[in-house]
Amino acid sequence: MPRVISQGNIPNLITDLKKSHDVFGPMEKDGEVVFGKVEDPTNVLLRYKTTLLPPKIFFLPPEEELFKVTNGRVQEGRVEKPFIIFGLNRKDLEAIVYLDQIMGKKPADTFYLNRRKSSILIGVFEEEVGVPPGGDLILEMVSGNDYRAIALTEKGRIIANSEFFKEGKVDGKVAPTETPSKLDQMLLDSELIAQAIKWSRENYRQVWERLGKVCIGCGICTYVCPLCYCTSTEDKTSFDQSVCSRCRKWDACTLPGFAQIAGGHNFRPTQAARYFNWFYHKFVRAYKEFGQAQCVACGRCQKYCPAGIDIEKVLEEIIDAFQKAQPTRKF
Amino acid sequence: MENSLHPKKVKIVRLEDMASNVKLFRLAPVGWKFPANKSGLIFTPGQFVLAGRWGAGEAPFGPASSPFEKGFIELGVRRVGNVTATFHHLREGDEMTLRGPYGNGYPIDFFQGKDVVMVTGGCGIPPIAALIEYIIARRESFGRVYLLYGALAPKDLLFRERFENWEEKIKLILTVDKPTPDWKGHIGLVSELTKEIQIDPLNTATAMCGPGPMTAALENILRPLGIADRRIFVSEERKMSCGIGKCQHCTTGDKYVCTDGPVFYYDQVQGNWD
Repeated sequence: MPRVISQGNIPNLITDLKKSHDVFGPMEKDGEVVFGKVEDPTNVLLRYKTTLLPPKIFFLPPEEELFKVTNGRVQEGRVEKPFIIFGLNRKDLEAIVYLDQIMGKKPADTFYLNRRKSSILIGVFEEEVGVPPGGDLILEMVSGNDYRAIALTEKGRIIANSEFFKEGKVDGKVAPTETPSKLDQMLLDSELIAQAIKWSRENYRQVWERLGKVCIGCGICTYVCPLCYCTSTEDKTSFDQSVCSRCRKWDACTLPGFAQIAGGHNFRPTQAARYFNWFYHKFVRAYKEFGQAQCVACGRCQKYCPAGIDIEKVLEEIIDAFQKAQPTRKF
Repeated sequence: MENSLHPKKVKIVRLEDMASNVKLFRLAPVGWKFPANKSGLIFTPGQFVLAGRWGAGEAPFGPASSPFEKGFIELGVRRVGNVTATFHHLREGDEMTLRGPYGNGYPIDFFQGKDVVMVTGGCGIPPIAALIEYIIARRESFGRVYLLYGALAPKDLLFRERFENWEEKIKLILTVDKPTPDWKGHIGLVSELTKEIQIDPLNTATAMCGPGPMTAALENILRPLGIADRRIFVSEERKMSCGIGKCQHCTTGDKYVCTDGPVFYYDQVQGNWD
C-alpha cells in the first residue's frame, strides 16, 4: 500500500522535521522564488516553476570557509547541523545527482560530499514521477490534494513511515509528465550537441564572434546554473595575522581573468573565447568526461541573462548549421 | 577519507637566490614523511605540487630536486604574482604548506633505454632538473642524453651550481641571448642548436618545459631531427587552483592540465586553442 500525505498535513511534517534538521524550501521573496530557511512551514511553495539560485548553493555555497587556521591550528570547515531541502523539482534533483557524480569523481571534493552526507533531499512533483531522478524521497501529487511518497533511500523511508503519512489507496489521477521542451529534446542526443559545438569552433565562428559581443561577461549564467561548479580559492587574514580563513568562492569561466596566470598571460583573452568555453565545457568536455551534457534545461540562464542570450536558440542554430553542413547521404 | 584539499605542513630548511627574481626553496615535512613509491620516488619528474602559505594562498610548482631524495623537496620560485611575492618574503625556518604531487609526470618508464633530449628555457627548468637528477641516478638505463637550455643572460640560467655535476653525465648545450664577455656557450635561440645533437631519432624521447617560444624549438629542432610528435613530452602551464580536476581553471580543450597533465605527449594538446 502506498504511503500518502495530504497537502494540509505537509506543514505539520515540515514542523516535525525542523525539530531535528534545518529545513530549506522554495519560498517567495521580493517577487522571486528562492530556497530559504523555513521558519513558517506554510510559506513553503509546493508548486513553483523554478528558483532563482539552484540547490547547489547548499552543497557548493557561493562562499565557504574550507579551512580556518588559528595560531597555527588548522580546522576543516564542517557541517554544523544536518539539513533537509524540501520541495525540489525534477530538474534540480537531476542536477544534484549529476553534481554528486562530478564532485565524487576521485580525487573527490570532501567538502561537497560532507554536505551531501548531512542532507536529505525531498522532491515534490506535480506530475508523475516515472523514473525518479534521485534524492531521498519524492512526493508525487495525486488528485490535487494528496501526495504519494516514493522513498528512494533509507533516510527517505524513515520519513515516509512517519505518522504524517497514511497507508492509502491512491484513487485520484496523477498528471502526466510535463511535455519536454525543445532543449530537453535536444539534450537527449548529447553526442550530436558535442559534435556540433566542436565543429562550430572553426566552421561556424560567426556565432561565437556574435555572442562574444553580446555577452557582457557578468557570470550570471554560471551562478544560476545548477551544474556549473567553477570556483576560486582565496585566503583572508585577520589584522594581527593570528587567524586565517581559506575561502572557496564561486567563479565563472566567462569572467575575464578566469584563465589568466600570474605574470599576465591569459589563455582565453577574448569574451568570445570565454563564452565558447562555457559551451565547450557543458556540451563537449563534460560529454567526454561523463557521457552526458552538463545541462538539465532548467531555463535559468536564459531567464536571468541580462544580455538576453537563450542557449536553446544558440544550440538550435549551431545544430542546424552543423547538420546542413554534413554531406547528405543517400541510401 | 583523506581531504585532498587539506595541505600538509612543511618548513623552509634552505633558501637560496638563484637569479634576480628566482629563489630555490628547500621544504622539509613537519610531522610527516613523503610517501615513496615502489621505485623509491617521492614524485615523478614533471608532476607538480601546490605549495602554499596560510594567508597567502597556493601556487603550482614542478619540484626540481631529485625524486629519490626523501628528506625534502626543492621548488624554484619566480616572483611573479601575489602568492610568489609572499613566498619571497619568507625566511629559512618559516612554515609553508604542501599538497600533491599531482598529475602525470614525464613517462620515465618509456624513457628507459632511449636517447633523451630535454629542451627548456628560462624558468621552465625545475621539472627538467628533477628529470636530470633521475636520469643521472640511473645513468646506465639511458643512451645519449642532452639538455638544451636557453635563458636571457648567463645569470638567468638556473641551477648553475648543478651544471658541473650534470656535465659529467649528460651533454649540456646552453645558450643565452645577451652573453657576458666570459660566456663560453652559445648565443641565440635554443632552436638553433640542432647540429650539436647526435641521436637515434627512432629511439629518442623528448621532454620539454618552457614558454611559448619552445614551440619554435619543437618545429626547428625536434621534428627536423626526425622525432615523432608522440615522443615529444611537453609540460603545460595553466592557472591551477584545486589540483583535483574540479575548479576548471586549468582546462585546455578536452583536457585538465592538473589531472590529465601537466605533461602531455605533443599531439594530445597540439590542436588546442586554449
